[in-house]
Amino acid sequence: MSVLGRLNRGETNINFVKWWKRGLVFSALLVIISVVSLSTRGLNLGIDFEGGVSWEVQAPGVSVDEARNSLEKVGEGAAKIQIVGTDILRVQGPEASLEHVAEVRQNLAELAETDVSNVSVSTVGASWGSDVTASAIRALIVFLIAILIYLTIRLELRMALAAILAVVHDVLISVGVYSVFQFEVTPGTVIAFLTILGYSIYDTIVVDDKIKENERLVGMTGRMTYTQMTSLSMNQVLLRSLNTSVVSLLPVLSLLIVGAFIMGAVTLEEFAVALTIGLTVGAYSSIFVAAPVLVFLKERQPKIRAIRERLEAQGISTTASPERLAEARTSAGTVALGSDPSAAKPKASGPTASGAIPPRPRKKTRKR
Amino acid sequence: MKRFRGYGALLIIVVIAATTLIYTVTAGNKPLLGLDLQGGVSVVLKPTGTVESDTLDQAISIIRQRIDSLGVAEPEITRQGDNILIQIPGVKDKDRAIALVGQTAELQFRPVLGTIPVTPPDTETTTTSTPVSSVTTIAGDATATTLAPADPTTTLESVTTTTEAANGGYTDQTCIDGVTEEQSNPSGQALLPQCEDGVLVATYAVGPVSLTGGAMDTARATLQNGQWTVNPTFKGGADGIGLFNGVAAQCFAKSQTCPSGQLAIVLDGRVLSAPTIQQASFQADQIEISGDFKEREAKDLATALKYGALPIELEQQQAQIVSATLGQDALHAGLIAGLVGLIAVSIYMMAFYRILGLFAVLKLAIEGALLWSIISWLGTNNGLALTLAGITGIIVSIGVSLDSNVVYYEHLKEDINNGRSIRSATDKSFVSAFSTIVKADVASLIGAGLLWWLTVGPVRGFAFYLGLSTMLDLLTSWAYMRPVVKFVTKSRWFGHSKLLGLPAERPQPIRGRNSAPVSAATEEANR
Repeated sequence: MSVLGRLNRGETNINFVKWWKRGLVFSALLVIISVVSLSTRGLNLGIDFEGGVSWEVQAPGVSVDEARNSLEKVGEGAAKIQIVGTDILRVQGPEASLEHVAEVRQNLAELAETDVSNVSVSTVGASWGSDVTASAIRALIVFLIAILIYLTIRLELRMALAAILAVVHDVLISVGVYSVFQFEVTPGTVIAFLTILGYSIYDTIVVDDKIKENERLVGMTGRMTYTQMTSLSMNQVLLRSLNTSVVSLLPVLSLLIVGAFIMGAVTLEEFAVALTIGLTVGAYSSIFVAAPVLVFLKERQPKIRAIRERLEAQGISTTASPERLAEARTSAGTVALGSDPSAAKPKASGPTASGAIPPRPRKKTRKR
Repeated sequence: MKRFRGYGALLIIVVIAATTLIYTVTAGNKPLLGLDLQGGVSVVLKPTGTVESDTLDQAISIIRQRIDSLGVAEPEITRQGDNILIQIPGVKDKDRAIALVGQTAELQFRPVLGTIPVTPPDTETTTTSTPVSSVTTIAGDATATTLAPADPTTTLESVTTTTEAANGGYTDQTCIDGVTEEQSNPSGQALLPQCEDGVLVATYAVGPVSLTGGAMDTARATLQNGQWTVNPTFKGGADGIGLFNGVAAQCFAKSQTCPSGQLAIVLDGRVLSAPTIQQASFQADQIEISGDFKEREAKDLATALKYGALPIELEQQQAQIVSATLGQDALHAGLIAGLVGLIAVSIYMMAFYRILGLFAVLKLAIEGALLWSIISWLGTNNGLALTLAGITGIIVSIGVSLDSNVVYYEHLKEDINNGRSIRSATDKSFVSAFSTIVKADVASLIGAGLLWWLTVGPVRGFAFYLGLSTMLDLLTSWAYMRPVVKFVTKSRWFGHSKLLGLPAERPQPIRGRNSAPVSAATEEANR
């Protein structure tokens, strides 16, 4: 069977334990780079955070130098002048009086040979940006606490902790990318960063739910450790996780490529770049950060550790090698079929469809 | 019976989506485009220092009055925490609009030179239509007994006869437009309107400003003997009560500077009240403005006086002038990008899940119809504007919605691979998949709710639309996706696993040595 076919059937036998180690090293590296860059280079904050005035006008064929020459007349020769999107002239300067703002507007309108009403102006006081940032950070902290509580109730504390760690990882790396490449941070970027939280959590919940479903396999008939079970669950949800990421990424990529690059809508670019980075990191982290952290936490639980020790004493392999996974899958498949809890206890089987199916007595009899 | 479960919900949601869409189209509801999409002026103002909630509301109502004077169709003024967010779409004189909203309004006390009631003074009762009030010392004070309250109506009539031009040229429109700085002429004489609910009730000729709100300390409305009165408290000393007593003495004596004996209370160029002064001298905290006040009038006046005592200085946090062309370009790009993304993701879903993928795309159509109706309704009736951040939120939610389908379909595939028949897996998988979907969507809702609640400005719009579409996803996942998948997997036309993008049934694992009672699953699988 081809790899894609196996992926499609959730029958890949990838040893995730091996990949988790590489993933954690990779993640640690990215986080360190992000933190170092953030503390040394900082972020390239837009005028919304620093305070100032920004003018924008559609000015086809006007070069930055022409604009600067013209703006010198109104005392904005030192302003930051860029061409953004395809033909939008953006001029940014420090805070100024209303009269001066209007004067520059007039000047730009003449330069772009258009009506003054076609010149957009954005004036931002110095404290507005810090207000926005402060409220975003406050929202972030409250969000993390609320999600921690929610996931603890719906799943369990260790999964919640692992999920939160993955989210923090995602946000750190996304912000880190903005710092390393010195992309301009705007309120749109902040919104996008906050969206990343939701995505990352969504993906992690999909994976965690599967782990939870498989959890009763751990130690059942003494065959599987928590690590093996998680690795098996990963194989089972791999396609689900990939597909949810793809369907989320496609519209965002369209925003970035079609909206921002082809059609030159600057404001869309602000959202799309951060979202694309965040979504990619979020999909990665639910498999390579949330899961290993969960395994790490769970294997320290006395009950789970006892199972591992018992299995090791019995001489049963506790690695998550492909062979072991294939073996485990055979039994898991049967149990997953009777997916209500009563199925795990054959005696409790009732007249319902699922309850009537006891665990298979033998393994490796399935024809492939 | 069980077979038909869910089809009712399907019917209801399809009918609701269709009718709301038809209603939206026929009623002509359209989404209200935000400033960043249609052009206009947006200003965020923040009061300096801490302020009380009711004085901030007073500041907002002053701003509202001023924007109304610009003659704009749908200004939106909202309070977000202490911030005041003002959005004025399509305003012509944008610079003036920005300058106007940020000015601090001043409370002034000006002696009344004469009054022009709106209706001609030939009927006896006309003067009573003008709110008549008087200033006395609070009852119970020792000095109160020494002053016989004058009859306010007679005072007014005597003034009326001395005035010349009818209404001073002011009409009800003056109540909307307000008066210019030049007309209000703080250092000399001026004609100022008194309005009630947008109707001109009187025009006052007033002298120069005697004192401003700076002399005030606070004010409150109280109920005394069944009458609502307002009790202002002045600051002590020469700058406070001293100034007030100075003008009060002039008015009480009906001297040249205050022939009517009335003192007008003016806020932002509008006369709020012009009480007759009944004493020559007052104590700072023993003043009472009484008249034929209704509760609301008394409270409004007290709030205005309180505001005047500590006028809120508004600092401009952010001001945006968005050109209509740039806004439309952004809208255009957003729509095209959304459409391309939608097509791309539809192709992906159909390539992967075939017929089931097609029904997932139809789910988007139902959500889209509902979302469009809700946005249009909110835009038309609640003035909630769709911003670029909101559009981004909606495009992002395409992914959120399809994620639910992916979770369900993958669960379905897994169960079938594990030996379930397609039919039994359809129900079984939905239970587990929906539990995952609810968990994930509730997490998204928590996020959206917190963002909406805790942040300011554009983030809120984004959070609102993300939350709204997440709720729609929950609804359609339950009411649409479940019955549709059930219908499709049972249908003879689609009932082929290849077409459905599902693996072939593998009925073998249930057979075997165990002697368990023949289950429904086996029964179906063996059919």
